[in-house]
Amino acid sequence: MKQMLRKKDVWVLLAALIGAFACVTLIQFISGRIDGVASMVFLLAVFFVSMYTDGYWWGVAGSVISVLAVNFAFRTPYFAFNFTIPENIFSGVVMLVVSFMTSTLTTRIKKQEQLRMESETEKMRANLLRAVSHDLRTPLTSIYGACSTVIDNYDSLGREQKIKLLSEACADAQWLNRMVENLLSVTRIDADGVAIQKTPTVLEELVDTVLVRFQKLHPGVPVEVKLPDDFIVIPMDSMLIQQVLTNLLENAVLHAKGMTCLTLRVFTLGQRAVFEVIDNGCGIPKERLKTLFTGTTLTQDTSSGGKHGMGIGLSVCAAIIKAHGGEIKAESTPGEGTTIRFWLETEEVDTEETEDEQ
Amino acid sequence: MSNNKFKVLIIEDEANICSFIQTLLETNGYQALVAQTCVMGMTMFISYNPDLVILDLGLPDRDGLDAIRSIRQKYLTPIIVLSARTTEQDKIEALDLGANDYITKPFGTGELLARVRAALRVNRYGGGSLPGGVFSAQGLTINYERRKVFVDGQEVRLTQTEYNIVAFLSEHAGRVMTYAAIVRAIWGDTDASSTKKLQVNMANIRKKLGSRPGSNTYILNELGVGYRMIEEDAKPLEPAEETK
Repeated sequence: MKQMLRKKDVWVLLAALIGAFACVTLIQFISGRIDGVASMVFLLAVFFVSMYTDGYWWGVAGSVISVLAVNFAFRTPYFAFNFTIPENIFSGVVMLVVSFMTSTLTTRIKKQEQLRMESETEKMRANLLRAVSHDLRTPLTSIYGACSTVIDNYDSLGREQKIKLLSEACADAQWLNRMVENLLSVTRIDADGVAIQKTPTVLEELVDTVLVRFQKLHPGVPVEVKLPDDFIVIPMDSMLIQQVLTNLLENAVLHAKGMTCLTLRVFTLGQRAVFEVIDNGCGIPKERLKTLFTGTTLTQDTSSGGKHGMGIGLSVCAAIIKAHGGEIKAESTPGEGTTIRFWLETEEVDTEETEDEQ
Repeated sequence: MSNNKFKVLIIEDEANICSFIQTLLETNGYQALVAQTCVMGMTMFISYNPDLVILDLGLPDRDGLDAIRSIRQKYLTPIIVLSARTTEQDKIEALDLGANDYITKPFGTGELLARVRAALRVNRYGGGSLPGGVFSAQGLTINYERRKVFVDGQEVRLTQTEYNIVAFLSEHAGRVMTYAAIVRAIWGDTDASSTKKLQVNMANIRKKLGSRPGSNTYILNELGVGYRMIEEDAKPLEPAEETK
């Protein structure tokens, strides 16, 4: 990364200086005199170098080279260094000062930009944390309550009542676990934008794993699956993409009221594998669609919508897909249903590896 | 105290987790021993010689992987690893060191008992030497002598390689086999593309067995780790203990 930046900086420096040199030579060729123009053009070059490189040193180097170049080629005596003329020294000093100040300014702007980004992620995290801690407390209260009720009233409670209380505690513990898994996924992506670990994953195996888990949790909800026939391999962090698909399917179950049909469809579009989770439930109001993935409406949602805060799951999904270099979008018609669609880059597969010995 | 019960050693530092595993195992006819640290676990392992070890990887005194290493130097006792949800790499490492299976926290009680049963079943290496030479699980039947596979009585035509994979997985039914272990058993050596070769073969096997994503799966995916054949139905099936 650092090496790359260095290389880029060298190219900026060279391009700016060569450009300036060519420009001045051209002017000299046309008008025959350049004494006044040369310094100005090189000053502009130094300005560009300072703006588009990192740190002070490229700008300073640019200005030193410019001073020498102007002195050597475009000042009397031509093609010889002469630092005795005060005018030449003065123009050199001006160039140095300009480059230094430009570099300082651009560095400061870059720093501010970074700070702004950081505070934005910080804000999003704070939002998430607030919503999550609210969401964690509800199931915990119920687990704690159910268990202590059973312990304190063991003899007076009937068998049925005990089982009812304990199975509620069990269900809430599972819900809690899903929440924690979402949080773990967030920490796995890492805020510093460190690239996630991608391993080639077979699409069919991924979908199978997700469905096996989903049907364990929601045995009464059938999912219609439409997959392409081809052998498709997608480089991904399979644990995170599983999380995305599980979240999307579960959201449909929890929020799409009146849903009768839940479909998971995957198709390829050129190099992309497009995933769709389609429900025919109540849909999402238009004004909610815009902020669906950003997590900005989290706080209002959770206070009004009970314990199943929808925003967390979706903002986690969005973060995961973004980290994979894909895109996620939602389409919804109130009353008719919602489609959440995301795509991931696939891997080329040479199927001639299949051996058929019989 | 009957002495013909299977002895299970639980090495886990969380007292609450120990307690529920112990209760679960004891009510299901196993004898459970508990060790809270790795060092204590090793001492108890040597003095009690258990039939199975359930090992947590995150122990306070030593890395659980060390315990697998030192047990495997001398003993073939099955080991089930309890892992917190971390990366696939940790699971693969534990399996490569000689652990027989892993189970991810939090787990259902039914899931744990199934793993314990599978691990305690006698290792049947060198398939084909089975009594009767037949494996059957939920409609899938493998006849080792005739090297044939049937689904609901219908013969499934597999290639040599595909048959070898299915047979290998069935010999270790109920246990996860890593990609590397399967590749070693089928092709002998491993190279960069061998996992993909296995995955392509598996895709064909699934198609031929009539498995659809999410249903009718005889071979379960452990994404990023390997495959697991469902348990053989030898004993009468217990009701699935899926907590809702």
